[in-house]
Amino acid sequence: MSPDELAIPFRERAGRAMKDAFLQEALTIATTKFIGLRREAFEVFPDGEALRDRARQIKEATLQRLDQHVERLVARVEARGGHVHYATTAEEARRIILDIARRTGARMAVKSKSMATEEIHLNEALEAAGVTPVETDLGEYIIQLAHERPSHIIAPAIHKTKGQVADLFSRELGRRVAADPEELTRIARAELREKFLQADLGITGANFAVADTGTVVLVTNEGNGRMVTSLPRVHVAVMGVEKVVPSLTDLMVFLAILAKSATGQKLSVYTTLVQGPRRAGELEGPDEFHLVLLDNGRIGQLAGPLREALACLRCGACLNVCPVYRQIGGHAYGHTYPGPIGILLTAMLHGPESVKDLAHASSLCGACADACPVRIDIPGMLIALRREVAERKIAPWAERVAFGALGRLLLRPALYRAAARLARLAQRPFARDGAIRSLPLGPGAWTGARDLPAVAARTFQERWDALDREGRA
Amino acid sequence: MTTRAEFLDRIRGAMRRAPGLVPAAAAATPARPRAEVDAIRRELAERWPGALEGFRREFEGVGGVFHRVAALADVPQVVAGLARERGVRRLVAWHPGALGGDLAAALTARGLDVVAMPPGALDDPAARQRLRAQIADAELGLTGVDLAIAETGTLVLRSGGGRPRSTSLLPPYHVAVFDRSVLVESLRQAGVVLESWHDGGEPDDRGAVTSFITGPSRTADIELTLTRGVHGPREVHAIFVDKEIRG
Repeated sequence: MSPDELAIPFRERAGRAMKDAFLQEALTIATTKFIGLRREAFEVFPDGEALRDRARQIKEATLQRLDQHVERLVARVEARGGHVHYATTAEEARRIILDIARRTGARMAVKSKSMATEEIHLNEALEAAGVTPVETDLGEYIIQLAHERPSHIIAPAIHKTKGQVADLFSRELGRRVAADPEELTRIARAELREKFLQADLGITGANFAVADTGTVVLVTNEGNGRMVTSLPRVHVAVMGVEKVVPSLTDLMVFLAILAKSATGQKLSVYTTLVQGPRRAGELEGPDEFHLVLLDNGRIGQLAGPLREALACLRCGACLNVCPVYRQIGGHAYGHTYPGPIGILLTAMLHGPESVKDLAHASSLCGACADACPVRIDIPGMLIALRREVAERKIAPWAERVAFGALGRLLLRPALYRAAARLARLAQRPFARDGAIRSLPLGPGAWTGARDLPAVAARTFQERWDALDREGRA
Repeated sequence: MTTRAEFLDRIRGAMRRAPGLVPAAAAATPARPRAEVDAIRRELAERWPGALEGFRREFEGVGGVFHRVAALADVPQVVAGLARERGVRRLVAWHPGALGGDLAAALTARGLDVVAMPPGALDDPAARQRLRAQIADAELGLTGVDLAIAETGTLVLRSGGGRPRSTSLLPPYHVAVFDRSVLVESLRQAGVVLESWHDGGEPDDRGAVTSFITGPSRTADIELTLTRGVHGPREVHAIFVDKEIRG
């Protein structure tokens, strides 16, 4: 999202999304479908729950020895003739990749879907350096033609209608094409096939990297991951450093739950294990293989409040079940990673002040933690983030004053009772059917996105006292 | 630029600051993967028909087409039939050494244009470019299989000499030939086999890529409408050969 759009308050972005009738329908259809597929996949998989626990254990064990696993990964990749680079920031990651592009004289880069390269805003940097980036995942290709950002981690273009896609393709090709998904897919295949064969540079993310063998693992359904790692003469993989797993045995545990959580498939169509550049005796494959290990806020969280979020597999399951995501979609979050986990990842990348509004874009219902294949306690971390936002005084002052007053009130029962009686009188002009839907002036900002339950005609305490008296009588 | 030492130091510094952690262990890797693979094979010597049935069910479930023939010599007839029905004739095939037999003559006799892959790399860039164009132009790719996983209906193919990556990727139809020697029941067993491939010295003709293929290429990126063959093959066929190919 551009800085201009980020200047728009979150509330306004969310409000706009909620007025977009197509987006609302698309979100409902997509997330409902993903929820059903995921549920069915785990229903017929008796080992699922145990494997989720094991996967989480493996993640935790890996983070506890992350230095050793990274060292081993690096040694194995280099033993296979690959190069490893270390990026502390997004800026450094971009510079590393641009250097590779420049040195190898690359003019065109084909990319398979990668949130890590979204995170470092690589495409803009490539374009500025005269290298044409081509997104090859169909959803990402559509998004790139529209000059937008993905709205879902695994279904980047769910907010687009087939008519809009047809318009984009028509403009790109200079001829009118039909709004038929089959036909549009056929056109994308033909267009992108040429790019795969011409490109000098293949850029991917990585779902995992196996330390024991120096293997980078890519999971795709379309086959573009295989194209990008096989056809261009240079392959660059960009990976958050936390994605390393110790062994191939561990990898299989993650593969067994990843696709089931994401799309309800037992496995995605293609799982591609890449060990360095083309080997002697091989006809195809890149001359050079580069792995860019990305910190960008991750390493500090090994000892930070967001440590658990380092276990995330980027499956998107928490987005689909989130009542807030289902209402506002991915763009309203305003950053690379949407949804409940996205709030935590945004805080990881940009600090807690970047989520002072987003930290509240959750009902804390816990559906995300239930859906998470590695059982990340997302609501717990959101609460901690809210506390941090409040304590560091980056929350709006009115909110801090109001909640401070409420806190003091709750500690003094007599005062609380008096305040309830007062509120019952004061709410009369605003309460309808047991709820306050809008308030004037300052508090209006708060009720703009929420309903406040009205103070009951008789409070619980008053009824309790009455019952107590009756009981004794 | 951040160096490896700086990067690792930062990780170690953060690890030292990490608060009270719960004990956790990664999965136990097989101590002797090759011996364990042998043990799996012995178990499957009796159980393989069940595993094959499971594979067929899952493979068809993901949109694959399953065939079964008695011997490798019966494969060309099936392939020629598929090609005829689809109106295609340009075929690329793994090198006979990688496939387990030379099927080119029989396929050619049935009217197909067959380009067999060379056994190794090509030093001449022009020759390499020509071959790549031929693979890109081919309509059907004929390959072997290194591992077939019943639990998920997955074919696993390793790249290497005579078995280029794009033979199972660029043509719109992929036909893979396998026998019971590569069949396993579960992802867990597949993990043991993968470990065994990295257990000690590897054969020199193995390439850098191992591909798990679970059905035809697919996307649902436009209004969640399932569409096949977006980048990879739109059809994947698995031909099971009863008589072991290298028997």
